[in-house]
Amino acid sequence: MSKFDWQKSGVSRRALLKGAAGLGAAGALGLPFARQARAEETTWTLANSMRSLANPYHAAFAKGGEEFAKSIGAKYEQLVTEGNSQKGMSDIRALLQRTGGKLILNVDPNDSPDARVIVEEVQKAGGYVVTQWNKPDDLHPWDHNPSYVAHMSFDGVPAAKTIAEALFKSFGGEGGIVAIGGILSNVPAIERKLGLDQAIEASGGKVKLLDFQPADWNEQKAFEIMQAWITRFGDEIKGVFAANDGMGVGALEALRQNGLAGKVQVVGLDGIEAAVAAVEAGEFAGTVAWDPMWTGGMGLAIPYAVATGKIDIAKEPKEHREFYGTAIIVTKDTVAGYRANPGKVDFNDLWGKATGQIQYRS
Amino acid sequence: MALAVRTSKAGFAKWRAWAPLAVLAGLCILVSLFNSNFLTVSNSLRLLNTAAIPLVLSMGATFIILMGSIDLSVEGVIAVTAVTVSLLVANDLTGYDYGLWAVPVAIIAGGLLGLLNGVLHVRLKTPSFMTTLGVGFAGVGIATAMLGGQTVRISDQTFRALSLGRVGGVPMAIWIALSAVIVAYIIQERTRIGRWVYAIGTDETTARQAGIPIERTRILIFSLAGLFYGLGGVLSAAQFGQGHALISQGRLFTTVTAVVVGGTSLSGGVGSVLNSVVGVLIVVVLANGMVLMGVEPYIQQGVQGLLIIVAVALSLDRSRLDVVK
Repeated sequence: MSKFDWQKSGVSRRALLKGAAGLGAAGALGLPFARQARAEETTWTLANSMRSLANPYHAAFAKGGEEFAKSIGAKYEQLVTEGNSQKGMSDIRALLQRTGGKLILNVDPNDSPDARVIVEEVQKAGGYVVTQWNKPDDLHPWDHNPSYVAHMSFDGVPAAKTIAEALFKSFGGEGGIVAIGGILSNVPAIERKLGLDQAIEASGGKVKLLDFQPADWNEQKAFEIMQAWITRFGDEIKGVFAANDGMGVGALEALRQNGLAGKVQVVGLDGIEAAVAAVEAGEFAGTVAWDPMWTGGMGLAIPYAVATGKIDIAKEPKEHREFYGTAIIVTKDTVAGYRANPGKVDFNDLWGKATGQIQYRS
Repeated sequence: MALAVRTSKAGFAKWRAWAPLAVLAGLCILVSLFNSNFLTVSNSLRLLNTAAIPLVLSMGATFIILMGSIDLSVEGVIAVTAVTVSLLVANDLTGYDYGLWAVPVAIIAGGLLGLLNGVLHVRLKTPSFMTTLGVGFAGVGIATAMLGGQTVRISDQTFRALSLGRVGGVPMAIWIALSAVIVAYIIQERTRIGRWVYAIGTDETTARQAGIPIERTRILIFSLAGLFYGLGGVLSAAQFGQGHALISQGRLFTTVTAVVVGGTSLSGGVGSVLNSVVGVLIVVVLANGMVLMGVEPYIQQGVQGLLIIVAVALSLDRSRLDVVK
């Protein structure tokens, strides 16, 4: 049955023409098709689409995809949007055209609305797609079977809460902190702020948020804001929360200029190398690693399993269609283990690192 | 009667020249009313430290804007030079360890990109706006390709001392920025090139008739700007202890804003590198001050936008404008 289902989109028109009795006929048709697909399984082209290769997260994301493609001997393409939705979509259209729809796409859409257009185009062409991070709330994989295989994300709220609590612990759980946010309308920025707010609330008034300023994910801006805070609050600042590591590093360098690095702890999210090193050096109280190698690889491995008939995606539960990945909390206590075992990706373990269905908080 | 008109015009022109400084003084007074820590020595040093890189960048940009051109390649040049220098000092990606010798190499790389700007702009007669935009994009692309999206971390502490070290209690970056300002001022005041820049910016046709080698001057000034951006890239890498392609994000806007807010006219011929020093300080004091005063983040951006319009409006010599485009 599973083989029959994934083939259905390819033969549906014919099945329809054959009328009600066509169901059995389509099943019969499906079998030779499935055999053919297995024999030529590398005729699928695999592609990851992302904003830019100039940031460590997306560079690792691309690498994860490349490694999976290599493991099955498939052609692999990297598409880069450069922050331009139109470019992102036209590149995908071109690739669908070139591969005749035999495309497995793992896409981090430049903007949420892009996801709908991409899913519809891929479905029309007969390919398979997985989306990352951004999509409209009312667009669901199960409404576009079987082409729209899954949507993956990471839950910023509990991650930010955990890392904020690690920060509080670094100064004994009582005192003032300052917080640097991302671009205010970004979903991750909203989630991470929410997680911070929850942690502050849970401290029962012991931790006070002295000031919150958005630095738009920019380390330079974070540096300048931190400089001003040192003047404004002086030694009232016991810790710094940054909504991503890049800004956290900016703040850390401002602390260093003032001889405060290591004395005032910083936390961030994303798990970039500089932040992990700062955890080791005792200057960051912690960071959260998202495992982009995993999202980059599994975003292709799951649809590939669908395309080759190994799984019937329409039968999978919702927590296998819209799910969060596992965040790795890196603190002083866990950093050595994180370094020693940087999390090898097992491409056969399709949902091993999925941690629950995505929630909509609006 | 005619005389009276001329006097009042001259008086206004004189006042206009001082407007940026008055704005800076006003800002400082305003912020210190809200927060007494503002005018302390330690905060002044922090302000100057924040201003160091924008100062170096604006020195290059001022000459270009004085010629009536524009240079949008700032971020691309910084990206290339910051990555270059990061890869040449002791780091976690390459085996090189050239220490401070990497600094002139990176600065020259910046100069070469500036030279490319100048040659393309002059020889192909493409507007500086488009040429430098293209070279800037290419620069970010080159930096990305050099690192393959990675971030390189610097472990050379001697190199990092360019930003973190202190001489006489004053951060090294401030001394370097000060030297850059002095060099730029000498070029502006004491060299033929410096005078030619004004002549070209004021009226290129007349300058050509006067025998000024316009093309050569333009190429030279774009290269000079590249050298300053290169130094800015080196300081950025030293400040953050790392190099990556996006290290320069947001620098272009600050640089051009500072030059214009300082009173150097975008139409060319009017202004000075000293105006840009005031402009940089206005931008930095404003950003620092708004955090000190606890201004809402949403309002901060609006205030910055307003400042640019007010500054340009104040510094514009409307009597020279026939057409506004």
